[in-house]
Order: sequence, then C-alpha cells, then structure tokens
Amino acid sequence: MAYRGGGGDGQHPSASLSYVSPGRLSTCRTCTHNICMVSDFFYPNMGGVEGHIYQLSQCLIERGHKVIIVTHAYGNRKGIRYLTNGLKVYYLPLKVMYNQSTATTLFHSLPLLRYIFVRERVTIIHSHSSFSAMAHDALFHAKTMGLQTVFTDHSLFGFADVSSVLTNKLLTVSLCDTNHIICVSYTSKENTVLRAALNPEIVSVIPNAVDPTDFTPDPFRRHDSVITIVVVSRLVYRKGTDLLSGIIPELCQKYPNLNFIIGGEGPKRVILEEVRERYQLHDRVRLLGALEHKDVRNVLVQGHIFLNTSLTEAFCMAIVEAASCGLQVVSTRVGGIPEVLPENLIILCEPSVKSLCEGLEKAVSQLKSGALPPPENIHNIVKTFYTWRNVAERTEKVYDLVAGEAVLLMDKRLDRLISHCGPLTGCIFALLAVFNFLFLMFLRWVTPDSIIDVAVDATGPKGAWTHQSPYRKKVDENNEVSKTR
Amino acid sequence: MCAQPVTNTKEARWQKVLYERQPFPDNYVDQRFLEELRKNVYARKYQYWAVVFESSVVIQQLCSVCVFVVIWWYMDEGLLAPHWLFGTGLASSLIGYVLFDLIDGGEGRKKSGRTRWADLKSALVFITFTYGFSPVLKTLTESVSTDTIYAMSVFMLLGHLIFFDYGANAAIVSSTLSLNMAIFASVCLASRLPRSLHAFVMVTFAIQIFALWPMLQKKLKACTPHSYVGVTLLFAFSALGGLLSISAVGAILFALLLVSISCLCPFYLIRLQLFKENIHGPWDEAEIKEDLSRFLS
Repeated sequence: MAYRGGGGDGQHPSASLSYVSPGRLSTCRTCTHNICMVSDFFYPNMGGVEGHIYQLSQCLIERGHKVIIVTHAYGNRKGIRYLTNGLKVYYLPLKVMYNQSTATTLFHSLPLLRYIFVRERVTIIHSHSSFSAMAHDALFHAKTMGLQTVFTDHSLFGFADVSSVLTNKLLTVSLCDTNHIICVSYTSKENTVLRAALNPEIVSVIPNAVDPTDFTPDPFRRHDSVITIVVVSRLVYRKGTDLLSGIIPELCQKYPNLNFIIGGEGPKRVILEEVRERYQLHDRVRLLGALEHKDVRNVLVQGHIFLNTSLTEAFCMAIVEAASCGLQVVSTRVGGIPEVLPENLIILCEPSVKSLCEGLEKAVSQLKSGALPPPENIHNIVKTFYTWRNVAERTEKVYDLVAGEAVLLMDKRLDRLISHCGPLTGCIFALLAVFNFLFLMFLRWVTPDSIIDVAVDATGPKGAWTHQSPYRKKVDENNEVSKTR
Repeated sequence: MCAQPVTNTKEARWQKVLYERQPFPDNYVDQRFLEELRKNVYARKYQYWAVVFESSVVIQQLCSVCVFVVIWWYMDEGLLAPHWLFGTGLASSLIGYVLFDLIDGGEGRKKSGRTRWADLKSALVFITFTYGFSPVLKTLTESVSTDTIYAMSVFMLLGHLIFFDYGANAAIVSSTLSLNMAIFASVCLASRLPRSLHAFVMVTFAIQIFALWPMLQKKLKACTPHSYVGVTLLFAFSALGGLLSISAVGAILFALLLVSISCLCPFYLIRLQLFKENIHGPWDEAEIKEDLSRFLS
C-alpha cells in the first residue's frame, strides 16, 4: 500500500513497495487503511483498554482494513503471535518499568518501531491509553516518519496535584501535533481538551462497546427468595471499595434477605474481609476474588442489582455489561457515567454511603413491588446501545478524515511544539524531535527502507494465514521470512 | 464526519448522552461544551495583614536560630560566662512556665492531665543527664574536623527551619525531625566550646529555645495575638541587635530577609492569587467525605 499524506520525511523509495501493491489494491476498497495499534496494554493483561483494542481491531479487519498490534513482551509471550482472523501482534522486547508500562527514553524504541512500520506498510498509527509510555513513543516516532496519528484516551485525570500537572504537560506535548484524538465519553473529551489544550474539533467521542451476545440474562440462575447485589470491580480506592465497606453492614442490618456477591481482587479486599468478620456476614457476603472476563457474566446473572461505587470513571463498561445481563444498576454519579445509560435503567447516587444506600433501597423496593422490567427486556434495550461494529464504523470515519490530512512537516512541527507547549518544554521537545529525526536518518542510512522485507498481509478472511489466499504463492518468499522471524 | 444534512442538526438538540445515535458528527462541539467547568472552587481570599501576622511564625523561628548562633559565638569567644547564661535561661524558663499556665487559665493543663510533679521530674532528669553526659558531648566529636562540624551545624539548622511545623498541612512537616536536627546542631556546636560546663549550658539553652519557646509562642499566638506581635517584634529586634554586635553586614542581610518574608512574600502571595486557575469539573475524582472507620471499629 502506498504511503498517504506525504509528509516531507515520509516519502520512502517506493520501488520495493510496488510489487505487492497492485494485487492488493485491486481487491481492497479505495479507503482501506493499514493500521497499527500501539499500547503497552494488551492480552495477556486484562482490562478495558486491552479488550477495546482487540475488539476494535477485529471489527476493522472485518471491514477490510489491515490491522496489526504492537505491545511489549509479557514474560514468556514475546515475538510475533497471530490471533483470530490473522490479527498479528508484535510483543516487543522492551523493559517494563511500572504497572505494565514500559520505560521511555523517546529514542530506544525507534529502530524496532520503524522496522515494523516499514515492513507492515503502516499508514496510520493508533495509540491507546495515556498511561502507556509506548503509545506516546510510537506517536512521537510516527510523526518523525511522517505517518498519520490517532490517539484514544481511556482515562480521566485531575488538575490539582503535582503528578497530574506533570502528566498533563507531557500529554500536551504528545498530542499537540497528533492528527486526531478519540475519547470514550463527552466528559472524557472535555477533560482531554483541557489537559492537553487541544482544539475540540479534532477530538471525537466514540464510546466503548460491549459484546451483547457475551452478556445475556439468565433469570433461572438467580434465587428469587433473596435479593442479591453484585459488585464486580478491582478492589482499589479509585473504585470506591471504601464506600462499599460502609454500605454492606448498613444494608445487611436493614434487610435480612439481602446478599452480596463481590468479584475482583485488589489491595482493598482486606477491609471488606474485616467488615465481613466484624458483622458476622460470612454466609451473606461472598468474596470471589479475581475473575476472568469469561466468568463475569456467570457472576452477573446471579444477581438482581448491580452496584458500582467508582469515584472516577471515563466510561464504565461494567454497568453496561450488568445492564445487558438484565440487572438494575445503581451507580455513583461521577465522570462519564451519567452519559452511559438512560435514566430508566440506572439509579444515580452521590458518592457517599448514605446516598448509595438510598439508591439501593429504592432499587430493592422497586424489585419487591415488581416495578422493574424483566431482564430480557432490559437486555433487548441495552444491546442496541453499544456495539463494536458501530465503534469500528465511527473509528473508520476518523481514519478516513485523518488520511486526507497532511502530516506536519518537520519545520511546522517544531514551530507547533514551541508555540503550543510553552517556551521551555516546547524547546526541549523540539530539540528531541530534531534528534529523533537525525536518528531516523541514521537508521535509514544503515538499513534503507528498500531492503526491509515487506511482511505478508495476514489479516482478513482472505489473508495469507488461510489456505484460500490468492497471494499465497505471490508473496511466498516474504512469508518465509516473516515466519522465521 | 457523519454526512448529515445541516437542517437536521438545527432541529434536534444535542444531548450529552452516549447511548443515542445523534445526528451530529462525532467531533461536534456543542455550545454546552465545558459548561460544567468550575474554576477556583476552593480558592481562599487572603487579607494582607492576616498573612503578615501568620508569617510571624517563620520570623520567630529564624530569630531563634539567629539568637542561638549569636549566643554560641559569645560563648566560644569567652565573652559570655556559662553561669550567666544558665541563670538567665533558668529564670526565663520559670517565667515562661508560669506564663504558659496563666495565658489560658490552666485549661491546657487540665486537658492533658499532666501534674507539676511530672514536669519537675522530667526537668530534673533532663538536667542531670545532660550534666552527666556533657564531658562525653565535649569529647564526642573531637576526631571530626571543625569545618565539618560547622558545615553539619549549618545543614542541621537549615533542616530544622525546613521541617519545622509552621502550621501548614504538608507532608514535609515533621516537628520531631525538626527538633532532632536542632538538638544535633547544638551538640555539634557545643563540642567546640572550651569546657564541658559550656557544652552542658549550650545544650540546655538549645532545648529551651527550640523545644520550649515554640510551645509558649503557639499558646501566645492563639490566646493573645496582640502581645504575640509585640513579643515577635521584640524578639526580632533583640536577634538583630545581637547579630549587629558581631557583624554589621550580617545584620543588614538578616534584616532584609526578615522584611522580605514578613512584607514582600505576603504581597506576592496575594498578587499571585490573581493568576490562580484551578479547574474543577465532573472528571474530578470524587472525595469520600464521610468517616468510614466507624464501620470497622
């Protein structure tokens, strides 16, 4: 695939590209892209970002794009792996520094990432999560190489403390010359626009999604003689586990036939255990520990009411999953949560024990009076809200838009860095950008793009990984190379 | 990005919800964008003279360090006899002790439940031990060079000033560490004095000025602010006078430091408030305002 956009330093010698291009272009739609998802967070790590990247990639492949994923090595899982539909994942040998995020020097990852971007003929770099150093590195390198960049922000930050002031400055630097930014909720968009001092026009809101077929109700799994409240979250401060430790004794004293099921693990588990011990609630409060994603549904369907006590949340997939399983959701009114579900499906409370208890009591009384719609009906409403196909469709529009934009030339980029990020930070990062460019020049001199092998396109239902691939013979030699790598 | 007709966007009102497909592009910016943004919610309004008054705590501590060093210098030069210092220190401590109870009418004592006998006991124990160990203190740092001792004392006194509890609620504040650093500095300096009696008197004086004096100050400030201002001024002038007798340049610099801390810094603080831009909004992490420990205790 030919390079688009044509940044000054992005024009590669295209002689080597042409011999794979014609065949592929003829079958592709005119607007397919070669997308590289970059994030420190991917399977086998579990979480919202990981699932988002995987599902989005699968749906984009379905729509005819070529997608690869780049992440860092997880223990023994290193090198190249292929997932469903030939989704290729590069696990790069980079050192993990903290919380599964790699260390960054802004330079050390350039040789590897450049090699991947060139051999995979990537046109758009899509980085995920502002916690991921690798994602920011990739954005930095991609801009140096003249590739289009998209960034998805999955989290909310404050503005008050020192650490957020510093990270917000880095985000400003990282996003000031990024083509387009995607946020998962309107609150998240407001937050990102403020943090990185962005033009809101280049920030799109595309929510997360939930696979509704994974989260189906099963009313026979729950016992209607008792009321069960389900909580599924990591047991950490930010998820409001402290609030939960106040709610449990309060409600258990009030309602004798009320049980709690709590799924998830974390440092705050100990306070729940203390509460359970102190109030003798061993038979009524079940702590399940860490749950695998596939088990979440089986836990959810055992309950009547889902409780979310998060103190901050950009989107909150958990409440959508719970609603999709037909549970009545009670949640704190923080972050983007009020945008996620319509008022008749969620009871919003202030983040305090008193307010949450009132919310839960309201849900219990509705349940007892039979005012709640049956789970099947809730499921049927919720399943239309968020689907990955819709997310992919909207993300594709962002790619189309970005592909038509020009990447900033080096001089413009330096101007932008200096004018946008403040005199000191701007100049420092402009200097780093120049060094990065010189490093890239050096790498191109050592290994010219023309002698880097082109990787075989493995993705899609007709990709090289299947036996019906029409290009299998054509790119056989490349195939050999990429297999041995 | 959605190719929707423009007329449609005018009819439908944009909602801040994600679950509905709205006839707007994904990067649409509504007028309501950032409407929940709040600025400087918790910002405080400062009054100039109130800030000046509060800055007196810093002035007091700087003066304490200054007075301590001046007294040490006089002792080292042999201009001040240890008996005199001990006598004056004892007398002022007694006056301070009486004042300490008089100011609040004995309320603080009732609250803490501490008897006078206990006070006397700890004072006696302390004086006996310091006196007994003063020959050891004297020879303790003999093998260390005098320059090292001076450098160490300077760092320790600076540390004392940095970590002192000026009433701010910050992680760096540690009154224990602060007091320990001051005592360590006094031990260092005392070891360079001519005799062990000097060392004993010096350490006792350090305890009085770094441990007991701030306690009395705190009470003065809380109960009788006017007399506190008077005491601060008096203390500052006596520190300046003492320094002047040693070095005129030092006294001028010290006076400039005091003036800038008590007058210029508050002025700057108030001026800089104008540039304060603290942003709050729905993305802020919620604070748990209740006391949840009651469920566990």
